Amino acid sequence: MRIRLNPIVKKELQVTVRSMRLSWGLFAYEGVLTMAFLLALAVIQETTSYMSSGNIYSYLIYLFPVLAVAQVCIVALIMPIITASSISGENERQTFDIMLTTCMSPLSIVFGKVSSAVLRILFFVAAGTPIMALSFVVGGLSWSYLFYFLLAIILLSVFSGSVGILCSSFCKRSISAVILSFVIYFCIYILTFLPMIFRAIFGNGNAGESMLVLLFNPGVFFEEFFMQIMTGRSIFGPEQGSAFLSDDVGIVTYLLARGKVWMFVSAGCILALSFLFMALAAWKVNPMHSGAGRKPGRKKVE
Amino acid sequence: MLYIRDLTKNYGSFTAVDHLSLHIPKGDLFGFVGPNGAGKTTTIRIVCGLLKASSGSVQIGSTAAAVGSSEMKRLIGYVPDFFGVYDNLKVREYMDMYGSMYGMYSRDIAKLTDDLLELVNLSDKKEFYVDTLSRGMKQRLCVARALLHNPQLLILDEPSSGLDPRARVEMKELLKNLHSMGKTIVISSHILSELSEMCTSIGIMNRGRLVAAGRIEDIMRQISGGRRIHIRIASEVEPALRMLKEQTDVTVESVREKELIITHRGTEEEVCALIGHIIHNQVILTDFYREAGSLESLFMQLTGGGAS
Ligand SMILES: Nc1ncnc2c1ncn2[C@@H]1O[C@H](COP(=O)(O)OP(=O)(O)O)[C@@H](O)[C@H]1O
Ligand SMILES: [Mg+2]
Repeated sequence: MRIRLNPIVKKELQVTVRSMRLSWGLFAYEGVLTMAFLLALAVIQETTSYMSSGNIYSYLIYLFPVLAVAQVCIVALIMPIITASSISGENERQTFDIMLTTCMSPLSIVFGKVSSAVLRILFFVAAGTPIMALSFVVGGLSWSYLFYFLLAIILLSVFSGSVGILCSSFCKRSISAVILSFVIYFCIYILTFLPMIFRAIFGNGNAGESMLVLLFNPGVFFEEFFMQIMTGRSIFGPEQGSAFLSDDVGIVTYLLARGKVWMFVSAGCILALSFLFMALAAWKVNPMHSGAGRKPGRKKVE
Repeated sequence: MLYIRDLTKNYGSFTAVDHLSLHIPKGDLFGFVGPNGAGKTTTIRIVCGLLKASSGSVQIGSTAAAVGSSEMKRLIGYVPDFFGVYDNLKVREYMDMYGSMYGMYSRDIAKLTDDLLELVNLSDKKEFYVDTLSRGMKQRLCVARALLHNPQLLILDEPSSGLDPRARVEMKELLKNLHSMGKTIVISSHILSELSEMCTSIGIMNRGRLVAAGRIEDIMRQISGGRRIHIRIASEVEPALRMLKEQTDVTVESVREKELIITHRGTEEEVCALIGHIIHNQVILTDFYREAGSLESLFMQLTGGGAS
């Protein structure tokens, strides 16, 4: 059997690899990571030199989270920009109609767009691996964490990509799609805390099941992820003396806060939300569903 | 081949296509004419599954496939009125991308691409980047692309808008060529003369309604009033004029030196007889031709004064 790549993925990769933008992008990405690395190293050195028992090696473990957080932030910022301009960009370039008249289903168009953006991000993450590896060597962390980190960052890029594509399918212009996706993006990051805060203020001071919304928050996911990697414990665990968790939090929350359960369930929730967004985008893009139909961007005839 | 029944499309309270019914037989080169805003693009986009109709149905061939379904899309090759191409993509890769969107394999596409580029006269541009091609070339490439999956029906929306005269001629030759290969083709245009010389049948649309449709000859026969004929003679004008005025079916409209313009209300055979009669009367004819704009005048008449 011959393997068939999604035509969009194939084309986008062809075009990306060919463009100078990728080289410059990689250069900038490496640059930022190197700066973060050196800065962290300098801070650690500075801090340890003040301490009498200054053993620099025990602090080098913090190089990893610094670099990882830097990468997470960059991916979280770049990804919505790439995908938010994908469908509205096709529409602006007047290539989308032709694509819709082919046998590509709207869902595979959306999948193709998101996965090519994820692959593009992976170029960057792969390029950042040597610097990450350096932090592992000097920091003394297990190599398997690098693999987990890769999975986590793929999850993040799928999620932020699906937010972008959703906005792209709703907005006619790329620029408004980018703006809208950042708005939605930060709403997900911030508003998911609201139920818990309300509960804490107006309730009995116990967050309880209202915390479950945080399963969908990628920010909390990464906090938990790094906590697990660095200390092997959960941010919700009783060891942390968490204010959220007393005996009457509710059985679901209680179970989720055991060991690594929260992390995996949260990953599942975020993935499910991403697929929901992609399905919505596909529904919106399908001309047989939207009433008035997309009016194609019109250029003046020269 | 293509059956459109009672197709209606409303944009709010505005009706862009109003109960349009149309049948285009297999092997036809159908010209879809109407002034700007008549609803041609709207109709075409509905047929191609890019727009949802308010009511009515579209059927292609004998399949019962719904508009916008994958089977339906396989039957149609669509060249939009405005379209773009991607940067950083070569002609060969452009074809490959769209071919694979129809589920074809790269090796088969590569073979087909050679043939199709030959057909549209772009063989030497295979390794060029698509965004460096001229507009005419892009248009022909788009036709080649639309033919990749061997559709039964090829639909082109205003294919010659924005092309220079040379590119127009090339496009026309290409379409005639495709027609002779047995493809059913639908072309829309707001310029009738562009279509009248190559199409086998036309439909005239105005304000969302189909005002006339049929084979070109039939439509010509429908033309009401007289047929304007230009006559140029080399001999004396006076006797010729006298003779023409004696004819019952003929009205002389104007006389300018050696050129007469007459209208003839008779049949084709009677026009032939008139030519014989003129020559028989020792009038030396150098020109005798029917005014080319006769279809045009029908068009203006049907689409009302504000057509342009
Ligand atoms: N998305 C839309 N919303 C509202 N009106 C539209 C839309 N698309 C087209 N129209 C209107 O429908 C009419 C028919 O347009 P169109 O089919 O493009 O005409 P044509 O292709 O014959 O020039 C025009 O009056 C146009 O303004
Ligand atoms: Mg039009």
